[in-house]
Amino acid sequence: MKFGVMVLDGPYQHQAADTAVRFVKAALAKGHEIVGVFLFADGVNAANRFINPPGERNIGRAFDELGAAGIEVVACTACAKFRGLKPDLKSDHVKLSGLGSLAEFLGKAERFVTFAA
Amino acid sequence: MSARIAFLMRHSPYGTVYPAEGFRAMLGTAVFEMDIVIVFIDDGVYVALKGQQPGGLDMKPLGEGFPGLADVGVKEFYVHDASLAERGLSASDLSVDAAVVAAARIAEVLAGCTAVLPF
Repeated sequence: MKFGVMVLDGPYQHQAADTAVRFVKAALAKGHEIVGVFLFADGVNAANRFINPPGERNIGRAFDELGAAGIEVVACTACAKFRGLKPDLKSDHVKLSGLGSLAEFLGKAERFVTFAA
Repeated sequence: MSARIAFLMRHSPYGTVYPAEGFRAMLGTAVFEMDIVIVFIDDGVYVALKGQQPGGLDMKPLGEGFPGLADVGVKEFYVHDASLAERGLSASDLSVDAAVVAAARIAEVLAGCTAVLPF
């Protein structure tokens, strides 16, 4: 199965970003394909490479690691501008791109899953 | 199966960022010639209300944007009948020509879509 994923909420405030990461890992472990992860609205905050929670799970690193593993992880450019997430603050393996990427993932996915509060 | 995307408008227009981002996502994906369906349900019916005046919030009226979606080929709107009735509204209060339908019909519409995006 080809899955697309969208995350609408930021890290730590709600469970959405955590669950999205776990969903992607579980789907891959079952042999499914992830066509892309789109970080939208506050979801783009998970792409900040300076996330550094003392003694807690690092959600920013988790998305970066998905990108490093070959999953296309995209943060919405406009949403990043709304939130002051300048390109030099962005995690190495998360791309900044527009809604065209969301459209691409929607077109490729057989199932599309949104994680939000 | 070509992509047919439903956008669920579930929240009132200004309390959260969801409806505004949903609207941007409709515009941003419709230009890629996707088949787009918009469903107003629960407090989401307020998103399409005519005459919104959010100037006091330093925000722009969201409802006025929906008629312009026709320019990018988005013309299929549904509104949940009970959600309208519970709020004392009717279809004529909305800024777009939406089909007033029961929950069962909305379920059918969503079942016919390749993806449902809840905002």
